[in-house]
Amino acid sequence: MTGDTAIRTVAVAGGGIAGLSAAIAFARSLPGTAVTLLQTSAEPGSLVDVVPTTWPGVSRFHAAIGLDEAELVRSGIATHHLGTIFDNWSLSGRSWVHAFGPYGKPAGGIPFDQIWYRAERQGDVLPYDRYSLGAGLARHAKFVHPARESDSLGSRFQYGLRLDPVRYHERLNEHAARCGVTFAPGELAGVETSSDGIEAAVLSDGSRIEADLFLDCTGPRARLLSSVDESFEDWSQWMPFDRLMVEAQESSDFPSTGDHVRVTNDSWSVEWPLRTHKVRAMLSVGGEGLPITRGRRLRPWMHNVLAVGDAATALDPLHGMNLDVAQQAILLALELLPGREFHPVETQEYNRRAEQLTRRVRDFIALHYLRSGRSAGVWSTLSQREPPGSLARTLDQYEYRGRLPFHEEESVTRDSWTATLLGIGIVPVHVDPQAAAVPLQKAVQRMRELAREIEEVVAKLPTYSDYLRRMGN
Amino acid sequence: MQQRPKTRVVILGGGTAGWMTAAALVNQLGHACDVRLIESEEIGIVGVGEATLPHIRYFVEGLGIDEAEFMDVTHATYKVGIAFHDFGSIGTHYLHPFGNFGAPLNVVPFHHYWLRLRHTGRGGGIWDTSICNVMAERCKFEPQPPGSPLYSYAYQFDATLFAPYLRNYSIARGAQRTEGKVVDVDVDGQSGDVIALNLESGERIDGDLFVDCSGFRALLIGQKLNEEWEDWSRWLPCDRAVAMPCRPREAALEPYTRAHAMTAGWRWRIPLQHRVGNGYVYSSAHISDEDAALALLGAVEGEPMAEPRLLKFRAGRRKRSWSRNVVSIGLASGFLEPLESTSIYLVQGAIAQLIEMFPIGHVREADVAEFNRATDLEYDRIRDFLILHYHATTRDDSSFWNHVRTMDVPDSLNDKMELWRRSARVAKYSQGLFFEPSWVSVYLGQGIFPDGWDQRADIAPGGDLEAAVDRLRAQVSNRVAAMPDHRAFLERRAGPR
Repeated sequence: MTGDTAIRTVAVAGGGIAGLSAAIAFARSLPGTAVTLLQTSAEPGSLVDVVPTTWPGVSRFHAAIGLDEAELVRSGIATHHLGTIFDNWSLSGRSWVHAFGPYGKPAGGIPFDQIWYRAERQGDVLPYDRYSLGAGLARHAKFVHPARESDSLGSRFQYGLRLDPVRYHERLNEHAARCGVTFAPGELAGVETSSDGIEAAVLSDGSRIEADLFLDCTGPRARLLSSVDESFEDWSQWMPFDRLMVEAQESSDFPSTGDHVRVTNDSWSVEWPLRTHKVRAMLSVGGEGLPITRGRRLRPWMHNVLAVGDAATALDPLHGMNLDVAQQAILLALELLPGREFHPVETQEYNRRAEQLTRRVRDFIALHYLRSGRSAGVWSTLSQREPPGSLARTLDQYEYRGRLPFHEEESVTRDSWTATLLGIGIVPVHVDPQAAAVPLQKAVQRMRELAREIEEVVAKLPTYSDYLRRMGN
Repeated sequence: MQQRPKTRVVILGGGTAGWMTAAALVNQLGHACDVRLIESEEIGIVGVGEATLPHIRYFVEGLGIDEAEFMDVTHATYKVGIAFHDFGSIGTHYLHPFGNFGAPLNVVPFHHYWLRLRHTGRGGGIWDTSICNVMAERCKFEPQPPGSPLYSYAYQFDATLFAPYLRNYSIARGAQRTEGKVVDVDVDGQSGDVIALNLESGERIDGDLFVDCSGFRALLIGQKLNEEWEDWSRWLPCDRAVAMPCRPREAALEPYTRAHAMTAGWRWRIPLQHRVGNGYVYSSAHISDEDAALALLGAVEGEPMAEPRLLKFRAGRRKRSWSRNVVSIGLASGFLEPLESTSIYLVQGAIAQLIEMFPIGHVREADVAEFNRATDLEYDRIRDFLILHYHATTRDDSSFWNHVRTMDVPDSLNDKMELWRRSARVAKYSQGLFFEPSWVSVYLGQGIFPDGWDQRADIAPGGDLEAAVDRLRAQVSNRVAAMPDHRAFLERRAGPR
């Protein structure tokens, strides 16, 4: 929207990573719009500021805000993240890898997973993740930049980044200043509202900040949005772990390209290796640790207030999708930015699409808990919980015929779903009738060759430490 | 893998829908099913679906059919869009192109930049930034080079030749054809499933899965299973068409389909290689059959090649297109007037869904629900797009146009229109037939100009932007200038075979 009703002033509340990301993106995309960042400190339960790991979408966001990814790696702020190794989160207790990018290769127009199911019935397969180069590299702490030629094996994986929260935050601060963001230090003392939303945010020193649009990046309590709308969808029944303990640890190992997840009877933990140290997080049900929120605001955009990050969608750290969800919300807000009148049709369209973006993230994380394959301790009753409707459909279709129903704005790829479903130990009962058209012997032969090729490539490639050394640090 | 007995599929009806279904099934699931199709020479087919959308190409290609041969057999021509005349107001026209306007810049769609220029009185027209539109204006055609996503194309063909062509294809690949009329349908007393069709000849045809392609009669899904019909005539009041082909008179062969708004509906003009298809789609509440036929006769350009033929229909869809072991495809499932050439697309979409949800051994309710969910979405989204063509008008010259201009439209469409008016945005769905350029063309072509645009489009300096748009126009124009005439391209393509 522009002309007479263009948004000319934006106030971003929240000095954490979500707030900085939003302020930078808005300042760069909207010429002639003044962006002020209210540097309130991050709530401890704001996991965007805690969880360092991200998905491949992070590159797109960094490109959009003009952050040089190679430089982030060179300066040690970022390391590459190829996937997550689940040591024992499965029915069989076997380890499996969730890697970014495609598994296997389709044949005769039939997706690879369908061919794998057929071959599996003959006992003629390796575990699913052996057909992913990214998984092989993650397991062996190796790395190479994906190739550009779209058909080569070397192009068939993707990476996210791990971002050292403290140093990334510093870098975003510098970048925000360069992008013309105005900083307003101080803590949020209050909010002045009217029937049309927020009139002003009041800081602890008494100063009033007025703006056309307020971005609420204050963390799970959503201190701005909750002053105009409190509706919240609780996800805790599907993400039952509600306490988080995080500690930084010295690391003597070389940095790895895979995150490690381990399960015990009453907790799960993850290790995120950074350049100089590693961060370990443990989640439990009750007990010690920081209470965390899981759920989403039903109307993240209400009048002139838009919640972003934990203020809009609060996830637990499994798979580390926290920052990605925040970044997607920022890009979506820019794509759908309304005029200053904030007509309900415009904000509803944002809320509709934001809901689609987060629903499947919720389903994907919930899948791990509700179908963990584990039966001891706190896990014992989780499989009896009713899944969200859209996940129930996915489970029904997958378990019966290996099909993944289409969802608008599906933010988790088919490969991620399949790798995870198979990883935790769900194999479809039937093979899709279409897949039976592929001659099996030939397909099995090709699968063997692919697995061998992946093994050879992984063996040949340098360790991640060597890669980093060659990058010049 | 255990060998499962093949599913016995019985298709009832040998029109376009029936033979398209048979062809796709023998091609993709020939190892998993036996296909038998029952048709009767006595029962004609509707077969007016002469205008298609680009998706048809994937269907033809998926069957492994050679495009040139297929076009030759069906007397097909190329199609880069649909031209709408007199819809927004009398005297205006525009093309719904099968391609983009300009190209997005910094992820912002081109039309936002154009709107911004227009606001300052510059910018010129948007239509000559669409390569399809310029091709249409100059009657030129050439497919885009592989890998270039600028535009696509569809075919205009003789639907009465398409079905027989697919019949030969299907029979050659194992489909069985049975001539005959169904007189009775056997239903299992317990499950309610259809178990067999009894023919006039006394033959009884058993099956596991029945595909109802019997057209408006909907012999299985409607007459036997009584699946409810959701009526949409309050938004789409046209309920009849009178069709009549004629000899071509114009020298140039238009690579597009025309839709001319008429007093009580609209008229199609579809140029094929050997004839021009014409038809008047109208609302019987607003004009008599005689007057409609007269109006059509008066409007066609050349000598009629047949008597005017009357068709009756109603807009809407089955509440459940798949019920028990009966899947309805085509007119038995639903009907939307051919204003945007969607009839064959809807058949194609249903076939793709059927193949995706093909029963494994037996029909499962959860799979049926998946099929119906996808089918409903298709119909509902096309419905809104069609209603827009009638509703976005200033015409007040007839009771028909007064009705459609002032009628209540679905909330889903009201919201889409409001979103467009405010900020030039098109509600985005990744599944659904018509994407942003389609909506943009109808909105702008029918005179709905937004008040605002994407604020990010303000980033480019105005002078630079104007120069860039001028360059784009010149590029489009030069590219089309280098293309052959549509007719010349067709002849050259057919030549070497």
